[in-house]
Amino acid sequence: MELKEKLKILADSAKYDASCSSSGSNRTSKNGLGNTAIAGICHSFASDGRCISLLKILMTNCCIFDCKYCLNRKSNNIKRAIFTPEEICEITINFYRRNYIEGLFLSSGIIKSPDYTMELMIKTITLLRNKYHFGGYIHAKAIPGASEILLRKLGSLVDRLSANIELPTENGLKLLAPNKDSNKVDKIMSYVKEKQNRKFVPAGQSTQMIIGATKESDLDIMSKSSSMYDNYKLKRVFYSAYIPINKDNLLPTLEKPPLVRENRLYQADWLLRYYNFKVNDLLNENNPNFNILVDPKTDWALRNIELFPKEINKCSYYDLLKIPGIGVKSAQRILKARRNFTITFDELKKLGVVLKRAKYFITCNGKYFMSSSYFKKEFIEANIVLEDKSIENTKIEQLGLFNE
Amino acid sequence: MNNVYLYNDSFNELISLIFYLLKNNIKPTNIKDVSYNPNLFEECIFLGIKSKEQDINNIALQFGYYAFRCIYYVYLSNNESKELIIYYFILNAIKYRKKITYMRNLKCVHETLRIAEYVSHETHKMKGFTRFKEINNNILYAEIEPVNNILELVSKHFEKRLKNEYWIIKDVQRRLFSVYDKKNFYIIPEENLKLEDFRISKEEKEIKEMWQLFYKTIGIKERKNDRCRMNFMPKRYWKYLIEMEDEL
Repeated sequence: MELKEKLKILADSAKYDASCSSSGSNRTSKNGLGNTAIAGICHSFASDGRCISLLKILMTNCCIFDCKYCLNRKSNNIKRAIFTPEEICEITINFYRRNYIEGLFLSSGIIKSPDYTMELMIKTITLLRNKYHFGGYIHAKAIPGASEILLRKLGSLVDRLSANIELPTENGLKLLAPNKDSNKVDKIMSYVKEKQNRKFVPAGQSTQMIIGATKESDLDIMSKSSSMYDNYKLKRVFYSAYIPINKDNLLPTLEKPPLVRENRLYQADWLLRYYNFKVNDLLNENNPNFNILVDPKTDWALRNIELFPKEINKCSYYDLLKIPGIGVKSAQRILKARRNFTITFDELKKLGVVLKRAKYFITCNGKYFMSSSYFKKEFIEANIVLEDKSIENTKIEQLGLFNE
Repeated sequence: MNNVYLYNDSFNELISLIFYLLKNNIKPTNIKDVSYNPNLFEECIFLGIKSKEQDINNIALQFGYYAFRCIYYVYLSNNESKELIIYYFILNAIKYRKKITYMRNLKCVHETLRIAEYVSHETHKMKGFTRFKEINNNILYAEIEPVNNILELVSKHFEKRLKNEYWIIKDVQRRLFSVYDKKNFYIIPEENLKLEDFRISKEEKEIKEMWQLFYKTIGIKERKNDRCRMNFMPKRYWKYLIEMEDEL
């Protein structure tokens, strides 16, 4: 098979993995090619708007598993291919030298056995690091069920290691991925957490969940994420809206992938990691799914309107972070600025704080942005929903013009 | 008459000129580099102030490294009134010292930080969007057209990343080359460098096609989102992004 055709098949089967980040590592190579940038670098953006940073490919799309949702499942009648280690090295180096990519993301279907697959991956990456002296970013998928010695070897070669949990509950996994065992994924994660340091998986580990293939609620998903962040010190959990590739009685039939839901989950994920929110603040048994109309933080603020408005010049850093529309950067700027002068709405704008949303939830030096008699939940909610709608409409119009 | 003070286009001279003006209580209407064409109401004054190392050190020591970096980035920007912004920034920094970067309520500080961020963002983008091709025996060659004058900042990145390669990056608009000889990079004006016998390597076409194929394959068509892509990758960068060739 020609190399081009292989690349097409093995990139096509790798594209459903959402992870693409190349951050968190600052590797320098003494005599070889390449280094890594701590902030990560995006090299291009695909037609779906997702960043392309790494050469994302599978070693092979042959697989002994039969997970219902997966393109590469055993029972699918598709073309199969396998890269040799040398082929992967050649493509990676050729792309990297021309600055097409930041590094390699190597995953694989399971061929013969988990150990056999991992050994092939290790062989490839060892070649890349030692023979080609490649110092760029490498993200590898750990294969669940492979032995610990292999995991240790792989971890010492790469920047990031990940194992996909795929579904938030055991039941979901049993239903759709009968060959997969969540204990094996847990095992990898706890091993990496124990061993992680500057030389072993320096950029940390991540995982991915498929959204909307099973009946789990947002509460189930966020609880799972939160427990994984706590237990395994994960850098990221990725959420991937389910795209119906296979036909199966066990799978839902969707018109479109649930992209808004996926977006809400990412927003909430950020709130957990950087804004001191807990899952229970955002969701509970009576309210197990996110509001599709407004983002999770605004939704929370509206439900807890008695905590607002916050005075920008006085409230604590953590309270600043709870204001819809104010992010970590803005909160830090406000903190530093107000030591030196009193902040008014005008000055808030000069600080670069976006007021579109925040203005409803704050006072500046005692003043609300309009008559304070308008500070009512219903009024604010209606305004925000309408504002978002009108933006959506103009965007669609602009897009329409553009296409013509 | 409106007085426009001129400097030889170098960062150090600009800073020394500004310190001279501040010391002598001279309020300029504008500050421009020597190539500036004045209008009817302007008078150009060239004082010939020599750059002093000390002035540069003073900025870093007294206002902090972050402020220094911001000033330098504004100098690299394509902003029309960048020199005046720097002048007023330094004027205020003498008063506020290291606190200056928190004083975003002052217009000159707000502008300085905003422009510096813009330059830094563009540099970061260019680190990803630069595309090399192989010419004449293993030399990597790239052309870029950044809005700001960031050839030096971009070169610093590739100096570390591609340190065992010979490479050349051309800023097409500014007609500047950055040439790296596996030890240092040098920024050279177009007229001083002759790139003769420009031969593209044989395998280049093959590798480029592989990349284009990868690019096409990796996008998920059910999630197609042109607006999102355009936000992250504005069209003005597409010219040199070989994967966008078909869509231009």
